[in-house]
Amino acid sequence: MTDIPSPEPRSILRLRLPGKNTGLVIGFGIIGTFLLLAILAPFVAPFDPVQQNPDLRLTPPSWAHPFGTDNFGRDMLSRVIWGARIDLQITLLGVLFPFIIGTIVGTVAGFFGGIVDTIFMRIIDIVLAFPFLVLMLSVIAILGPGLTSFYIAMALVGWVSYARLIRAQILVLKTKDFAVAAQSLGFSRTRIMFRHLLPNALAGSIVFAMSDVVLVLLNGAAISYLGLGVQPPTAEWGIMVAEGQSFISRAWWIPFFPGVSIVVLAFGFSLLGDALSDIWGRLE
Amino acid sequence: MISRFARVSLVALAASTALVSIAEAASVLSIGRREDSSTFDPINTAQNIDFWVFMNVYDVLVRVDKSGAELVPGLAESWDISDDGLTYTFHLRDANFSDGSPITATDAMFSLERVRDSELSLWADGYKIISDMQTPDDKTLVITLSGQSAPFLSTLAMPATSVISKAGFEEMGQEAYAENPIASGAFIVKDWLRGDRVILEKNPEFWEADRVSLDGVEWISMPDDNTRMLSVQAGELDAAIFVPFSRVEELQADDSLTVHIEPSTREDHLLMNHESEPLDNLAVREAIDYAIDKQAIVDTVTFGQGTVANSYVPAGALYHSADNGARPFDPELAKSTLAEAGIEDIEMDYLVNAGNEVDEQVAVLIQQQLSNVGIDVNLVKMDPSQTWDMLVDGEYDLSMMYWTNDILDPDQKTTFVLGHDVNMNYMTRYQNDTVAQLVADARLELDPTKREAMYHEIQALAKSDAHWIDLFYSPFINVSRAGVENFDQNPLGRFFLEDTVIAE
Repeated sequence: MTDIPSPEPRSILRLRLPGKNTGLVIGFGIIGTFLLLAILAPFVAPFDPVQQNPDLRLTPPSWAHPFGTDNFGRDMLSRVIWGARIDLQITLLGVLFPFIIGTIVGTVAGFFGGIVDTIFMRIIDIVLAFPFLVLMLSVIAILGPGLTSFYIAMALVGWVSYARLIRAQILVLKTKDFAVAAQSLGFSRTRIMFRHLLPNALAGSIVFAMSDVVLVLLNGAAISYLGLGVQPPTAEWGIMVAEGQSFISRAWWIPFFPGVSIVVLAFGFSLLGDALSDIWGRLE
Repeated sequence: MISRFARVSLVALAASTALVSIAEAASVLSIGRREDSSTFDPINTAQNIDFWVFMNVYDVLVRVDKSGAELVPGLAESWDISDDGLTYTFHLRDANFSDGSPITATDAMFSLERVRDSELSLWADGYKIISDMQTPDDKTLVITLSGQSAPFLSTLAMPATSVISKAGFEEMGQEAYAENPIASGAFIVKDWLRGDRVILEKNPEFWEADRVSLDGVEWISMPDDNTRMLSVQAGELDAAIFVPFSRVEELQADDSLTVHIEPSTREDHLLMNHESEPLDNLAVREAIDYAIDKQAIVDTVTFGQGTVANSYVPAGALYHSADNGARPFDPELAKSTLAEAGIEDIEMDYLVNAGNEVDEQVAVLIQQQLSNVGIDVNLVKMDPSQTWDMLVDGEYDLSMMYWTNDILDPDQKTTFVLGHDVNMNYMTRYQNDTVAQLVADARLELDPTKREAMYHEIQALAKSDAHWIDLFYSPFINVSRAGVENFDQNPLGRFFLEDTVIAE
C-alpha cells in the first residue's frame, strides 16, 4: 500500500479541451481534409479515376494533370482523391470492429475475472502467439481476396490488443471507491460495467486506436500491394504504389503521390493520438 | 564491436580480394535473371529457367541454329532417314563428357529412353513414337519409329533430350546428377548456390572447346526488375535478361549498355473456358475478340516492343499463316454480334496472376474494353502458385497465358492447343474433332508443301472457332554492358554463350 493518491481516473465523458494544442489542430485538420476530399470526391476529382486514355500514358505532372497520369493514362490526382475514400474506409472499419470486439471482451473478462477471464486470456495468448501479418494473410487466403475478407481478418486478429488494454484498466477501476459504491447501491452488473467502469477505461484504448489506425492503414496498403485487398481497377493508395513501382525510374509521380498521401494521413492520425493522450494523460 | 585496426585491415583485405577477383574474373560473364534454376535433370522440368541454363551445359544430337529456323548437326555429325520415314540412323562425332569419358551411342540411347520411359519425364508423350533403338557400334544410333512423324527430327533438338552420361548417371543417382551433372556441352556446373546463383566453368573436354572464349558464366537470381536493371547500369552485372518493356527506351539511351531485342516464339493469349456459360457460345467468343483492342495492349503493355498476334503460331515460325481470318478491333460489331445472339448481362471472372506486371496491366485494359461492349469482367487476383491449378480445374472464365516454342516444328504447340491432348486443349476445353483429326494428319504428312497447307487450314479453323484470343507476340529482351559481344539468344530461347566474348 502507498499513501500517494492515485490520479483521478479520467472519463472520456469529461473531455477538457486545453487552450492550445497544435498537434490536435493539425491532426484534425489533416484527417478532416482527407475526409472532405473523400466525401466530395465525385465533385472535386477532375476526371473519372478508372477512365483509361491511351493517348495520355505516363504524362508528367502538368496544369491539366497536377499529379501526372499513370500507364493507362488515368489522371493520378483523381485517383488519389478517390483513393482517399477507400483508404479512410479501410482505416475506420479496420479499427472499429477490433475496437468494439476487444472492448466488450476486455470489459467482461476484467469485470468477472475467474474462469471467464482465464478462458479469454488464453484465447488472446493463442492469437498473439502467431505473427500478426501471417495470421491475417491466412484468414484472407481462406476467405478469398477482397476488402470484406480484410475487415473480417482485422476483426478476428486485431481485437486482442484492445481486450488486453481494457481488461487491465477494468481490473484497476473495479477496486476504486466509485465502483465499490456503485456496487453497494445495488446497480446491475451491466450498468456498473458499461456505465461506470467502461467510460473511465476507454481513454487509453482510444489513444491506442489512433496509433493502431496508422498500422491498419499500412496493413491495408500492404494487403492490397500483395493483391489480396482492393481489386483493380479501383483506386487505392497501396495498389497505386505497387503498380507504380515498376515505372519508378520512368514515371516517379505514379508511386510518389499515393505514397505521400499514406504518409500524410498516417501522420495526421499520429498527431491526433499524441494530442489525445496528452489531454487524457498516459496510461499508468 | 569491431576495433578500428580490424576495420582498417578488413577494408584492405576487401580491396585486395576485389582487385584479385577482377583480374581473375576478366572473362566470367555474370547474367542477372529473375529466378534461380530448379534442376539439371533435363527430363524433369518444363521451365525456361532450367532450359536456358542447361542448354549450355548439355549438348543435343541435333541443334537448332541461331536464327531458329534450321536444324544443324550437334553431337550427331550426320544422319540418314530411310525411305519409308521410319528408321533414323545417327552418326555420332568424337566427343567427350566433362569427366573425360567418350560420348557414345549408348549414352544417347539412354538419354532418349529416360525421356520416353522415366516416371520423372514431363515430355514422355512426344517420344512414345520411338518403338526401338539399337547401337550397332559406339558411334551409331538407329532409331525405329512406330509410324511416320514429320516433327520427329526437330523433337531431338528439344532440351529434354540433352545427352547425359549413362555410366555417370547410374553411379551418381538421379538426385546427385540433377544437382551436379556431368556435362556434354560448353560449360560444367562448378557450383550451385540454391536460390542465389549457378556458377558455370568452361568445359575443356567440350568437342567445340576452341569456340568457347568465356572462362565461366554466373547466372545470378535477382527477382526485382528494378534492382536487376540498376545492377547492370552500375556494372555489377555484365548482362541481364527479362528486361521489362517499360525500361527498354531508357536503357537504350545509356551508351555503356547494349539492349538486345531478339525475335522470339513467345505468344501471349487470352484463354477462354469453353465449358463455362456463356463462353460455350461462339458469338460471345467472337464478340470478345472484336471487343479487345490488341494494338492498345501492345502500345500500353509492351511499349511498342510487341506486335499484334493473329495466330497461335508465332509470326516468323514455321508454317505461320498471315491470313487466317483474324478479327479486327470493332466494338460496334462486338455489340451487334452479342445483340444478334440475344445474350445480355454477361458477367465473367478473369483470373489474374498477382504480382505479374504484364498480366495485371492486360487484365485492367481488357476489363475496360469488354465493359465498353457490355461485358462485366470481375478480376480475380490469385497467387501464381494457385492459378495453374484453377486453370486445370476449370475454375475460370478468362485468363492470360503465354507459350514459347521448345522445338522448331509447330506440331508440339498445335497438339497441346488444338489436338485434344491430355490437357484439355491447354485448359480451354475447346472441342473440334475436325481440327483434332487435321492435327493428327499433319503430324504424319512428310511433304512440306502439303503440310504447310494443312497448318494454314488448322489456323483458319481454330481462329473461326475463336478457340482463344491471340493477343501479342513479343521479343526476348536482354541487356549487356559494352564490351560483351555476341550475347545472342535464338527464338527458342537458347543462349549462344559458346560464342560470347568479353572484350578487354
